[in-house]
Amino acid sequence: MTTFKLCDETVHLFAEGALFWAAAGTLFIADPHFGKPEAFRALNVPVPDGTTAVALGRLTQALMKSRAESLVILGDFWHARSSRTPEVEAELMAWRESFPRLQIEVTLGNHDRAAGGPPAGWAEVVSREPLIYPPFAASHYPDACRFGYTLAGHLHPGFTLCGRGRQRLTLPAFWFAESFAVLPAFGEFTGLARIVPNPGDRVYVIAGDEVLLVT
Amino acid sequence: MTRRIPKPAKPRIPKAIKPPMLEAITPMGWFAERGWTPFDFQHEAWAAYAEGRSGLIHASTGTGKTYAAFFGPVLEALTETRDENPPPLRVLWLTPLRALSADTARSLEAPLAALGLNWDVGLRTGDTTASVRTKQKLRLPTVLVTTPESLALQLSYDDAEAKFANLRCVVVDEWHELLSSKRGTLVELALARLRRFQPSLRTWGLSATLGNTPTAARTLLGTTGEPVLIRGKATKQTIIDSVLPPKVERFPWGGHMGLTLIAQVVATIEESRSALVFTNTRSQTEVWYQAILAAKPEWAGMMALHHGSLDREVRDWVEDQLRAGSLRCVVCTSSLDLGVDFAPVDRVIQVGSPKGVARLMQRAGRSGHQPGGVSRVTCVPTNALELVEVAAARTAALAGKIEAREPYRKPLDVLAQHIVTCAVAGGFFPDELFDEVRTTVAYAELTREEFDWALDFAVRGGETLRAYPDFRRVTVNDDGRHIVTDRGVTMRHRMGIGTITSEASTAVRFLKGGRLGHVEELFAARLKPGDRFTFAGRTLEFIRLKDMTAWVKLTKRAANTVPRWAGGRMPLSTELSEAVREQLDRAADGFYDSVELETVRPILELQAAWSRIPRPGELLIERVTTREGEHWFLFPFEGRLAHEGLAALIAHRISRLIPITLTMAINDYGFELLSPSPLGFTERDWRDLLRAADLAEDIGRGLNTTELAKRQFRETARVAGLVGVGRPGANKSAKQLQASSGLFFDVFREYDPGNLLLRQAEREVLERQFDEARLRAALERIAAGVILMQQPHKPTPLAFPLLVERLRGTLSSESLAERVKRMTADFERTADAKR
Repeated sequence: MTTFKLCDETVHLFAEGALFWAAAGTLFIADPHFGKPEAFRALNVPVPDGTTAVALGRLTQALMKSRAESLVILGDFWHARSSRTPEVEAELMAWRESFPRLQIEVTLGNHDRAAGGPPAGWAEVVSREPLIYPPFAASHYPDACRFGYTLAGHLHPGFTLCGRGRQRLTLPAFWFAESFAVLPAFGEFTGLARIVPNPGDRVYVIAGDEVLLVT
Repeated sequence: MTRRIPKPAKPRIPKAIKPPMLEAITPMGWFAERGWTPFDFQHEAWAAYAEGRSGLIHASTGTGKTYAAFFGPVLEALTETRDENPPPLRVLWLTPLRALSADTARSLEAPLAALGLNWDVGLRTGDTTASVRTKQKLRLPTVLVTTPESLALQLSYDDAEAKFANLRCVVVDEWHELLSSKRGTLVELALARLRRFQPSLRTWGLSATLGNTPTAARTLLGTTGEPVLIRGKATKQTIIDSVLPPKVERFPWGGHMGLTLIAQVVATIEESRSALVFTNTRSQTEVWYQAILAAKPEWAGMMALHHGSLDREVRDWVEDQLRAGSLRCVVCTSSLDLGVDFAPVDRVIQVGSPKGVARLMQRAGRSGHQPGGVSRVTCVPTNALELVEVAAARTAALAGKIEAREPYRKPLDVLAQHIVTCAVAGGFFPDELFDEVRTTVAYAELTREEFDWALDFAVRGGETLRAYPDFRRVTVNDDGRHIVTDRGVTMRHRMGIGTITSEASTAVRFLKGGRLGHVEELFAARLKPGDRFTFAGRTLEFIRLKDMTAWVKLTKRAANTVPRWAGGRMPLSTELSEAVREQLDRAADGFYDSVELETVRPILELQAAWSRIPRPGELLIERVTTREGEHWFLFPFEGRLAHEGLAALIAHRISRLIPITLTMAINDYGFELLSPSPLGFTERDWRDLLRAADLAEDIGRGLNTTELAKRQFRETARVAGLVGVGRPGANKSAKQLQASSGLFFDVFREYDPGNLLLRQAEREVLERQFDEARLRAALERIAAGVILMQQPHKPTPLAFPLLVERLRGTLSSESLAERVKRMTADFERTADAKR
C-alpha cells in the first residue's frame, strides 16, 4: 500500500489495482470488464474460465484491507453484451450478497453502452454521467471536469521503465496527471496500453504486491 | 514506377477451350514447333506417370519442370477417347503464391488446343471473382490452379468428395517453399483427404534441389508409397560476386554500410539491361528504392518496387513491365523469388546477407534466361562481415553444400484447424479421420491421445475435464458423426482458413481512392496524423485510421518514418555458418584468397589485434564494460537458433547463482549477455556455466522459455483461430472481441496451463531453439576445445553488431519490485550525471 495526498485528501493505492479515499471510506476501481472470456466463447474462441472469480477475490481483498464502506466502479463493468451469461450474473450476485452493507456506485463506460449496467440490485447508483464527490469527480473517461479532479479508467495504463543494461519493463500503472487520474484496468485478461506522462505527472506502478512511485 | 496508380491489369482468366480441332498435332510436334526437344528427365517423368507412380522432380527454375509434370496427364488423355465436353476436374495444380497462378495457368493452357485436347484451365485463389466462384460451384475446370489455402477452403464444402472424384493428379509447384512451413502441413493434410476420395491419385512435386530431397519427396506422398526421384537438367553457370567498398570501415554496423555503396550499385544496374535488386526485408526495399531514385532521378518511371504487402494490382503491373523489359530495375523481397521467369532480367543484386546457399542460388537463377546466358548475382554487403558470408556462400555453392529443409512434426494447431474443416464439410467419424491424418508424414507418429485432444479442442474448446461452458463449435450426432451445423461457425472458420501466413494488417488507401497495399496493424496504430512514411515507393502523409484502413495522401516533404513488418529474422543456415567459419580460419592462417576476404582484411586484422579470430575448436569470449554495464560476448558460431537456446541456458544458470536481470542479444555468430552490474566471471566460471551436464534438467525445469514461447504462440493462436475473428469493415463491437495473442498466452498460462496449444508453442521452441541434441553437441564441442578470454578496450568488429542490436530478450531472477527500484535508481543517477 502506498499513501499520499491528492487534492489535500489522503489516498491509498493498493497493489490489487484499487485507489482508496480514506476520509470518505470509498474504494475506486476501473475497467473490470466482467465476462470478457464469455464474450469470446460466444464466438467460439476458446478462452478459459475463472477470471471473474479471481477479479472478485482481488476486490474482496482490497475491500478487507481498506475497510471501505463504499465502492465506485469507473466504467466498463461488462466487456460486451454477450458477457452477461446467467453464470457470470449469478457469480456476481453471490459475491454481492457477501457485502450487504457496501454501497456500490457505477458510472458507465463505452463497453457498457451495448451491455447495459450491472445486474439489477447489484449497485445502488448506476449513472451514464460522471459522479461528483468533491473534490473528486468519477468518470470512465480521463477528461478534465469542472466539478473536481477526475478519477477515471478507460486507458488500461501501462508504464514502461528503462534501466541500465538496456532493460525494459512494462507494468500496470496509476497515472496522476494535472486534472485527472487514470486507474489500472482491474479485470483479468485486459491488457495494457502504454502511457506517456507529461513532466510533473506522478506515475505509480504495480510491481507484484507493491505499488511504487516511478516518476 | 510512375507517380500514378497503374491501371488494373486485364483479367487473365483463361477462356474455356472450344471442342477439339481437326488439325491437332502430336506432342513432339508441339515441342518441335517451339524449337524444343524434350529432355531426358521429362521423358523419364512422363514414363513414371504413365506407370501410375508419384514422385518429385527437382531442378532449378526455368528448366522445363512444369511440362515434365503436366505432360504426364496430357499424354495419358491423348490415348483416351474424348467426349465433346471438357472432362471434370482431373489435374490440380498447387502453387504457393497466388501471384503465380495466372502465369502458371497460361503456360498450362498453351499446348492444349494445338494438341486437340478440349480441357479447360481455371484459377481458384483468394482473388477469384464471385461470378467465377459461382460457376465453379457447379463444375470445376479440368485443370484447376490454386493455392494451399484455397484448396483447404474447397475441402470445407460438403460436396468436396463429388467435386474431386475424378481427380487423377495433383502437382505441387515450388514444394521447397512450402515444405518446412505449416502451409506445407496443410498441403499434406489436404493430399491425405484427396487420396481418401481417390486412392489411385498420383502426386508430383516440383522443387529446387535441397539438401534433403528424398525427405521432400516422401513428405509429399505420405506413408502411401515410394516416390520416384527425378533430377532435372543441370543448372546453367552461376556467377557470385560482390560490390566492394573502396574503404572498409572499422565498425561493421548492421545496415549502415549498404547505402554508402549506392553509386556502385547504380553502376551495376547500368551494366545490365534489367536488374532485380533483392533486399531481406520489406522496409529495406522502400529505403533502397528511394536511394536509387535519389541517385538517378531520370530513372523515375523506369524502376519499380515489389513486395508482398503491396496491392496485387501494383504487383501485377510491375511483373508485366518486367516481362516486357521496360524496367531498368525492380527493388524487391522474396516476393519475386518464385515463379515464371522474366526473360529480360540479366542481373540480380542481393543487398545484405545471403543467409543461405540455396537461397542465393535461387535468386541468382532469376537472371540469365537469354540463350547462352549465365546467372549472375552481385552481393552488396551491408556490413563488412557479410563479405565473408559471400565468399563462404560461393565456396559452398561450388562444393554443392545446399541446405536441407525440415518439415514440421505434428503441429496441433494445424490439425485442430483441419478437424474443424472436416466437420464443416459434412462431418466425419473420429476413427476414420485419425487413420487418414496418420497417412501424412507430419502426423505419422500422432498418438490417439494427441488426436483426441485436438478433437476436444475443436468440439469443446478445451480438454474434456476442463470443458469451457457455452462453447459449442462442433456437435456430435447420435451415430458419432462430428459435424458443424451452425452457419456462423462455418462462415468464421472459412474466413480463418487463409490465416496461416497473414499477420493482422491494415490497408493503405488514398483519400481520393486507390489502394496501395498493407502495413502492419501495429505500425498503423502508432502513426499520428501528419506523420510521413514511404510506402510503395511514394512518400505519404497519414491522415487518419478508420475502418481498418490507413487513409493517406501524397506529400512532397521528406518521410519521417519507414513501415516495419514483423516476420522473424531469417537465420543464417547451418551450412553457411560452417562455411563462414572455414573462411575465418583461412583468414587466421593468413590466406586472404578471395577479393571479399582481401577487402575485409583490415577488419579481420583489427579483430586479431584487439582480440582474436576464433578458429574451429575455440570459443572466443570477450568482456567489455560500458556505461550500460558489463557486456559478455560469446562466439560459438552455431547459428541464430542455437544461440538463442545457449543464451537462455547460460542466463538461466547465472540467474540461479545470483538475483540478477540480464538482457540478451543474438546473431548468427554469437550472443551477448549484458548485466547492469559487474559479474567478473573467470574462465573457470564460464567452463562451469557452459557445462553439458544438467542440460536436460535445465531445459526441463524452469529454463525460461516463456518469452520465446510467447513469440511462437503468435502463429499458433492465429492458426488455431484464436485471433483474427474481426475482419476489415467489421463494426466496432467486433473489435471489442479481438485480443492480442500475447493476452491469450497470458490468460491460458494463468487459467489453463495444461492447454495443448500452449504446450505446442513451448514444444516448437524446445525443438527449434532448445534442440537438446544440438545444444549438447555444441556444449560438448566447447568443453573439448579452448576458451579464449579477451578483454578488448572497446567492442571488437565481431562484437559490434551485437552491441547495437536493439531487439533483446530479458531474463530475471529479481522480484518485480527489486527491478523497479533498481531501474528507478538508475534513472535518477543518469539524470544527476546529466545535470
